[in-house]
Amino acid sequence: MLRLMRDKFFEVLQSVMPLILTICILQFTFVKAPAELFIQMAIGSVFVIVGLVLFFTGIDIGLLPMGRFIGAQLPMKGSLIFIAAVSFIIGFATTAAEPDVLVLSSQIDGITNGTVTRATVLYSIAIGVGLFVAAAMLRILLGFSIAYMLTAAYVLVIVLSFLAPPSFVPFAYDGGSVSTGALTAPVVIALALGLSSVLARRSAVSDGFGLLGFASVGPIIVILILGMIFY
Amino acid sequence: MNGIDILNGLQETALGVIEAVLPLAIFFLIFQVLWLKLPRDYVTGILKGTFLAACGLLLFLQGVHISFLPFGRIIGEAFGNIGHKWLLGPFGFVLGFFTTWGEPAVRVLAEQVEEASTGSIRKTAVLVAICLGVGFIVGLGMFRIVYEIPLLYILIPAYALVIVIMWFSDEEFLSIAVDAGGVATGPMANTFLLALALGMASSMEGRDPIVHGLGMVALIAVAPVISVIALGLVFKTKMEGGANE
Repeated sequence: MLRLMRDKFFEVLQSVMPLILTICILQFTFVKAPAELFIQMAIGSVFVIVGLVLFFTGIDIGLLPMGRFIGAQLPMKGSLIFIAAVSFIIGFATTAAEPDVLVLSSQIDGITNGTVTRATVLYSIAIGVGLFVAAAMLRILLGFSIAYMLTAAYVLVIVLSFLAPPSFVPFAYDGGSVSTGALTAPVVIALALGLSSVLARRSAVSDGFGLLGFASVGPIIVILILGMIFY
Repeated sequence: MNGIDILNGLQETALGVIEAVLPLAIFFLIFQVLWLKLPRDYVTGILKGTFLAACGLLLFLQGVHISFLPFGRIIGEAFGNIGHKWLLGPFGFVLGFFTTWGEPAVRVLAEQVEEASTGSIRKTAVLVAICLGVGFIVGLGMFRIVYEIPLLYILIPAYALVIVIMWFSDEEFLSIAVDAGGVATGPMANTFLLALALGMASSMEGRDPIVHGLGMVALIAVAPVISVIALGLVFKTKMEGGANE
């Protein structure tokens, strides 16, 4: 594990140093923030680097195998309904627990003066993600192209953008980013790859990816519809 | 500013990480007991890794919270007061590119693509494509704040463009592209680039941070979808060119 961590350390340096250096250059040329803040930023950067080394190591030995094993096990349990139900639960549970979703829910509660409560938003988004994950999982099993689903979803997003009350629209689009937290993303990617590896029908790439991204269209549609219902 | 405060917001961050990791761990254990029945070694390994990832995430998020978040706001405010507004385009590009370069989930995706395609789609190609997409859209997002362009004027054409070009893309790149949009809006972009936009909007007269600052994340979500599909099209023409020779 120490060897893995050492490899990860160099990878992390390579990944975050460009941003840290850019910020330093901006700081000394024309931003000129107070020194304390700059020191705080330097300490924070050390946190970021150490944190990422642990995070990437943990992903490799924990989260990726977890996702793969579950994904590979799913099709063996047979029925489509079982797999759809499990996918729905994964989408629902991980989204309802995501801190960003809570923040977004309170914001919408705020702009509607409580007409649309936090709980309504939270559970609607979680249901939206759950349904989209289940749909994306069924696509992999049934083997049809992601292009059809994506076209339908995006056309719906565009049409609803014009029908929903304008104050909802920016929140809806921001909602697209909430379903993909840092911990959930690796598990969901690995889950889909594990599933596609046992299907061995088509390309592991076209079957194994797309699940995570498709799930993030769910909240956009759900929030736009909520806006139309309550306004 | 009241001095150095490295523990600011630690409690909330910790709570957030616990709330995110618990459902995953519980779910895995239920699965393990009912169906997986993996050997004990595997289970301890996975749980150890999950614990390590959660601790790492906590440290990382706290680090971002005390470093990139306040600095994003300060840089944004400095940008708002800059004389030559055209400079914001290139600045936005560079910051967008490097932020995404450091985004953890983007790396996980790029690595998994290389592995799943058994090396035929290289990690660096995917990484650079995603970063270029985000860099470009952040530059555009800066101009959007300066010239007060409504968000939908950029978003609707962007989504429409995706709907059209995806029919020319092959399946593999389309699937990767959709995920790319999901991972690009990770913790780095959500804090640093959002704070940048909010700081800029709040320091410019007549801009409402809510209306003009928010929306940056929405743009970041759609840009990599386009750039990764474009990467796929480049790949395809190259392959066809190679086959004709």
